[in-house]
Amino acid sequence: MDKQMNFIDRMGRWLNWQRFFFLLVLLVFLTTILFPFYWMVSSSFKTGSEIAGRTPTYIPSALRLDAYRELFDSEWDHFQNFGANIVNSAKVAIPTALIAVILSTLGAYAIARLKFRGKDLLLNGILLVYLIPGVLLIIPLFAMLAQLARRIGFDVQDNLSVLVLTYLAQTLPVALYMLANYFRTIPAEIEQAGLIDGCSRIGVIWRITLPLAVPALVSVGMYTFMIAWNEFLYALVFLNNRDMFTMPIKINTIFSDPSPRPHVVMAASTVMTIPVIVLFLGMERFLAEGLSAGGVKG
Amino acid sequence: MTTRAESSPRRGWFSNSFEAKEARLAWFLILPTALIVFGVVLFPAIFSVWISFRDVGLNNLNDVFNAPFTGLENYKNVINDYAFKYHNLQNWGAAVTTIIYSFVSTALTIVVGLGAAIVLNQPFKARGIARGIFLIPYVAPVVGVAFAWSWLLDPRPSGVLNHILMSLGLIELPKAYLATRGLALGLVVLFQAWRYFPFAMLMLLARLQAIDKTLYEAADVDGASAIQKFANVTLPELRYVLGSIFLLRLMWTFNKFDDIFLLTGGGFGTKVLPVLTYEFSFRLFDFGKGAASSMILMIILVVFMVFYVRIVMRGTEE
Repeated sequence: MDKQMNFIDRMGRWLNWQRFFFLLVLLVFLTTILFPFYWMVSSSFKTGSEIAGRTPTYIPSALRLDAYRELFDSEWDHFQNFGANIVNSAKVAIPTALIAVILSTLGAYAIARLKFRGKDLLLNGILLVYLIPGVLLIIPLFAMLAQLARRIGFDVQDNLSVLVLTYLAQTLPVALYMLANYFRTIPAEIEQAGLIDGCSRIGVIWRITLPLAVPALVSVGMYTFMIAWNEFLYALVFLNNRDMFTMPIKINTIFSDPSPRPHVVMAASTVMTIPVIVLFLGMERFLAEGLSAGGVKG
Repeated sequence: MTTRAESSPRRGWFSNSFEAKEARLAWFLILPTALIVFGVVLFPAIFSVWISFRDVGLNNLNDVFNAPFTGLENYKNVINDYAFKYHNLQNWGAAVTTIIYSFVSTALTIVVGLGAAIVLNQPFKARGIARGIFLIPYVAPVVGVAFAWSWLLDPRPSGVLNHILMSLGLIELPKAYLATRGLALGLVVLFQAWRYFPFAMLMLLARLQAIDKTLYEAADVDGASAIQKFANVTLPELRYVLGSIFLLRLMWTFNKFDDIFLLTGGGFGTKVLPVLTYEFSFRLFDFGKGAASSMILMIILVVFMVFYVRIVMRGTEE
């Protein structure tokens, strides 16, 4: 009896110690993850003296909107017209997401369900994209597009459609992979039943497969949207005109301004970051699955 | 009749059989994706090999097909470039920096990701929310977080890290973290681990949850400690996933441009090959040299991958 009590007592102590350690680790993780974001948001409300003081200001003294006024209010000094940059980013990210979902749905269906010669070769070729550095592609892409542009007559620089095209190329392989994996989890028998009932293949895809794949479609759409929304390098090279800048390039420009205004940089970063995080947390269930299924490039 | 139909030229692509129809539909469905990927990635990549043997600058970028052939000149220029070459322990040059930076940050990313996966594998309230929060660094735009970090690391006393370390009495004078050789590279590595550990975490968590519980019960019966269980049950079960994550993350870290460009601009011992390639191409406008250095980047990567898949991964499949 005594021995048993002793054992339970020891177990209890061990568990407590373990729980304490676990909570400590969890707390360290949460603080390190969230603090930079807290810093971003809180700094966007600070005054110049709170930013450049002798010690850091952890909590701004008031919710000042000066930085946001500079971004959006045309009456304000150094007006940045950030609204136009948001529109540009949306103009790139939304079409990228929509086109990627449509094209990868078609392709993924072919990969998951149909037999055809050259499938493996094609798949391996598409996955090679993973291996090729982004910086490697810019110059040849630019040279090629310049040739094409002269013949057909469009601009390579400051052309948001060119960005959409490059983002599609970067995201389609992963989207294809994620969706093909998902289609494979839908039993083929359901589709065969539809085929026997006299539906065409396209009819089967439209009426049976797609409604079942909505979670995967949402996650692919979100993933491609985020890639396009966040992308920096191609936008940096292909955009020269301030009016055409997407948000990341604009924020970089404000950051490199000769008179440093960190609160404005942080306000712009907040405007760009918060929607993505809110969207992500809202759809986390779909996304976590999709992210690990495809091994998202990034 | 059937034999004649089979040997007729209509067999294959143009036949009306079910298989042929399916194959045609398949190609029709995948063609747009294939065209974009081949046209915008694979063809330019091959074209880049061609450019790396030519003298291409701003003046002839529009007329690139007639650029003069220069043989291995571009490659020689890159290899002999001051920023590329290894000098001494204080100045590694871009090639060595890239390799060390990629390996160390990949390893650290995986260690942190493993820790996070183990934490999230414990049953506790609000685990779903915690998982969502853990993923945030991975989905947030790099521009915003890089600038938030660089301000936390501000060289003035108002920088948060300076303030913390100075009030703890660990340093007397504020440090310029991102503008000091060594420190800068270490912090860029930390940033990588902070931003990309969720990727490793997700893959490891999925695998952890699939481990057969009876293995742990058997270990309990044998009286194994928590550390022994981790070393003898968990790690062997994770080996294959760890191998794949390492390969994927190493590839992407190797090719990564924005993180370092935004944090340090490639200065203070953090110049990696992607940043150097960018500088050759868009600061010096020597596109041939840029193409050559990106080819060198890819060659190092491919050599490593072949080695890795042949030697390291072969061991994990047994």
